[in-house]
Amino acid sequence: MAKVTMVEAITMAMAHEMEKDPSVVVLGEDVGLNGGVFRATQGLQQRFGKDRVMDTPLAEALIAGISIGMATQGMKPIAEIQFSGFIYPAVDQMINHAGRLRTRTRGRLHVPMVLRAPSGGGIHAPEHHSESNEAMFAHMPGIRTVMPSSPSRAYGLLLAAIRDPDPVVFLEPTRLYRLNKAEVEDDGKALPLDTCFVLREGEDVTLVSWGAMVHETLQAAAKLGEEGISCDVIDLATVAPIDFDTILESVEKTGRLVIVHEAPRNCGVGAEIAATVAEKAIYSLKAPIGRVTGYDIPMPLFKLEHDYMPSVDRVLKGIRKVLEA
Amino acid sequence: MKTFNLPDLGEGLQEAEIVSWHVKEGDTVKVDQPLLSVETAKAVVDVPSPYAGKIAKLHGKNGDIIPTHSALVDFDIDGGGAAAPAAAKKEEAAAQKAAPDAKKGTPIAEDSGTVVGNVPTSNAVVAETAIIRKKQKQEPQRVKALPSVRILAKQMGVDLSGIPPTGKNDTVTAEDVRNATQGGGRGASTPSAPQARWDVPAKRADVKYGVAEPLRGPRRAMHASMTKSRSEVAECTLFDDADIHNWMPGQDITVRIVRAIVAGCRAEPELNAWYDGEKLERTIHERVDLAMAVDTPDGLIVPILRKVETKNAQQIRDDLNRIKEATRNRSVAPADMKDPTITLSNFGMMAGRYATPVVVPPQVAILGTGGLRYDVVPVMGGIEVHKRVPLSITFDHRCITGGTACRWLAAVIKDLEKAQ
Repeated sequence: MAKVTMVEAITMAMAHEMEKDPSVVVLGEDVGLNGGVFRATQGLQQRFGKDRVMDTPLAEALIAGISIGMATQGMKPIAEIQFSGFIYPAVDQMINHAGRLRTRTRGRLHVPMVLRAPSGGGIHAPEHHSESNEAMFAHMPGIRTVMPSSPSRAYGLLLAAIRDPDPVVFLEPTRLYRLNKAEVEDDGKALPLDTCFVLREGEDVTLVSWGAMVHETLQAAAKLGEEGISCDVIDLATVAPIDFDTILESVEKTGRLVIVHEAPRNCGVGAEIAATVAEKAIYSLKAPIGRVTGYDIPMPLFKLEHDYMPSVDRVLKGIRKVLEA
Repeated sequence: MKTFNLPDLGEGLQEAEIVSWHVKEGDTVKVDQPLLSVETAKAVVDVPSPYAGKIAKLHGKNGDIIPTHSALVDFDIDGGGAAAPAAAKKEEAAAQKAAPDAKKGTPIAEDSGTVVGNVPTSNAVVAETAIIRKKQKQEPQRVKALPSVRILAKQMGVDLSGIPPTGKNDTVTAEDVRNATQGGGRGASTPSAPQARWDVPAKRADVKYGVAEPLRGPRRAMHASMTKSRSEVAECTLFDDADIHNWMPGQDITVRIVRAIVAGCRAEPELNAWYDGEKLERTIHERVDLAMAVDTPDGLIVPILRKVETKNAQQIRDDLNRIKEATRNRSVAPADMKDPTITLSNFGMMAGRYATPVVVPPQVAILGTGGLRYDVVPVMGGIEVHKRVPLSITFDHRCITGGTACRWLAAVIKDLEKAQ
């Protein structure tokens, strides 16, 4: 089994699927010759040729648009957006076409594409490349939004995203690209979409997080574990649609919920989780629901980005507040 | 020979401190194998090897400050020139891996991993578990209550788990909490009174749970005698009660039972005997050497009251006290436990009415006495409440007939029922 970083796991998943399925193609800015700015498509053009790994002009609306076109005609395009700040021109195509062609054509067309993009802060990149914009996509009907938090989930969920018959926005936490390695077998086994992953089991409080913040959340849970407080740590993984069964079952067990995300608090995905838990599990709640999130400001310039992103201490503080309520 | 210089570790840093070497001179290393950890103003980072080959020389030791671009490691490269171009490229890559800094104006090498910022990098391999929970039915009822109700319960010092829920979907309501504090409250709307607190005793600290322990001392002896009994004796047990309603005040129950056994053995001495099943021989004893089964923390100990048929109440009491004491401090001599002629097991102090006590060969009988109790008894067409002693006599049916045993028990009961 190979020990790979998350970015290598992503490359591995794409290569596996391209090998198996000739309709899978990769396109984006610098994905071919250069191998992608974060090296996610490294070696794919040499291996699969220029017809299947295409360098595009610097035009995100075009990248999304031709992907949608190809997808409706039997291809399975994987489009890469170079930086998260460049994704917005593609949003028009995603919301107006990718997300609604299935309903607009009453099922005649569907859009099996993946829009891959780096996401989140923590690498000292310019501030508009460091945002977490998953809530924006989560709010678009007809589109799945997925955020992996480890090499193995990046591999398994990307395979599932490529194979899914509908559009998936696959947001890759840049900070995790090379943060560590894990043993990932290139066996082509997809992980289920729309499913949470329980990373740590406990009784006292439920912690829900996704993407890079899973790491701070796990560290906080480990710290509390030393004090005898056990946390159920849930990686959301698919940000939309949310696997509420797992979350509700956990909250019914623990009676306490803290949501941790890097994105701004206002209308963040945490708000949706909190609202649904309040609707469906309020009789099990022993304390108000807590959220530990980024602030409702533009991502600061990178010198201050670590003050913006929830730290382990902030997560701990948030959990303690809920435990003491 | 190739020399690897300390790469620029980013942000225009001029130097780095060696934290620790992961290799030593003479080691053979692979490409990307971590050579050493260095600390910059920013962080501790591992520097990977750009070459495969043998380490000829390390420039610097732990704690040394190395200026950027000065020599760090000399390599002996196998195959010399042929490996060099690839290695040179790798060197550049290794430098860029640690220093992906766009601001310096240096061209970004192929493997920097990004064109903006600094992607944190590590070779640490992490293991994790990621469970997909099966969707299942909610497990046994947990308390369902609104947070406001929980706060009310907390303020009123009420345990929500003890309150039967009357709200929709089995929720405990504020009303339920108030009723619980008023001891049931409003009748019809509350189906039952709050349940009492459910106290499960703590587990015993003196018991080793879940460990197979060898039997020791008296327990080992018990294993041997009980096994022998079960394999040899044809046991039959008879139950009855002695009505002691007529007793004069001040009777010593144990002493009275001892006397009753003597009376039984006088009437039917066949029960005060030894039987040898192999030789088909029995020996009836005149003396009554009564074994008393005594429960101790170490197991069953069975000291003997000798010749009880010759003793009066006081002497028997003295003997009883003496063996009780000896048993308590484990000073009963083996001779005091040898060759009893019949046994009494007086188990009734704790619990139990009748039993089927086990005969220990070569003896042929054992009497069990249960706890004294008040029973409702019919007396001359009416009902009275009398104190009674439950009796269970087990005898070896190989050498004793049922009739003999019955007569023995009748004699015991007759003596026990005497007023004094």
